[in-house]
Amino acid sequence: MDFLEGIPWGIIAPIFIIQLLLLIIALIDLSKISDTNGPKWVWALVIIFFSIFGPITYFIIGRKQG
Amino acid sequence: MKNLIVLFQKEWRENTRNFKILWIPLVFIFFGLSEPLTSYYLPQILEAVGNLPEDAVFSLPEFTAAQVIMATMGQYQFFGMLVLVLGFAGTISRERKNGTGTLIYVRPISYLSYFLSKWKVIGTIALVSVWLGLLTTWYYTELLFGKVDTADFFAFAGTYSVWILFVVTIVVAMSAWLPTGAAATVSLLLVLLVQIVDSLLGAYWTISPWKLAIYATQWLTGSPDATNFWWSIVVTLIAIVGLVVFGVWMSKRNASKTKI
Repeated sequence: MDFLEGIPWGIIAPIFIIQLLLLIIALIDLSKISDTNGPKWVWALVIIFFSIFGPITYFIIGRKQG
Repeated sequence: MKNLIVLFQKEWRENTRNFKILWIPLVFIFFGLSEPLTSYYLPQILEAVGNLPEDAVFSLPEFTAAQVIMATMGQYQFFGMLVLVLGFAGTISRERKNGTGTLIYVRPISYLSYFLSKWKVIGTIALVSVWLGLLTTWYYTELLFGKVDTADFFAFAGTYSVWILFVVTIVVAMSAWLPTGAAATVSLLLVLLVQIVDSLLGAYWTISPWKLAIYATQWLTGSPDATNFWWSIVVTLIAIVGLVVFGVWMSKRNASKTKI
């Protein structure tokens, strides 16, 4: 795994920070919202396990706008 | 005027509560970051995941700074448009469906301020997101690939902003006209499909709002043909005004369809 050492993490870190932010925002929203399209726990898994696209799909189709 | 301020605040509050004000800029910044990074580290990424044979020698294209910024815009032209259209297609139609509309329409508001309050808030969110994303791309491109002229970049981002405003106006106007699902479909057809048609058959005409993105990229490598460019801008601005008028008229006409 020596190729990992050559990576300038300072440059790449923002990508992970943004993914993490989106994940946290989506989870906060999921915990506050009263109802979603489909079961809530499925959305929690989608948000956690599909980086970047999970939170986006949740925001676009998961929220039940009431 | 007071109407407009109150409605603007209402709209702003709604978009804060459903987090659109946070996640939409983050998505654009994400693509602005990932595009230059993946282009730059493509050889390493292939080496790490590609399982290439030891003696495989192949030359990857050397990206220029301008190409990387164009690639980011390419992402915006698909994923960005998808996010904007699907994120905002319900903006007026949903209010008719869930009854918020009833609470608003019984008050003495002008439909112009009603429509404009939505258009302004969504336009602001979209433009701020796109600019944050493009500035990120610009920064990373300069860091990893080389210089992009400041004037060129602003000409590019400015032109692209007009296109974004056009897309936002389409989405809000369609939402005033149709129910959410249909509004999203028609907007996507207008934004994505017409764009493909325009790029396939578009050799026959040079002035169209759907050509703005291409003209925007031409600022990075040179400059677009001045007449075509300015006429396209004029036509787009006229189309935006036309869509606003259409949207105001439709939100008035559809006001009676609101559920009580």
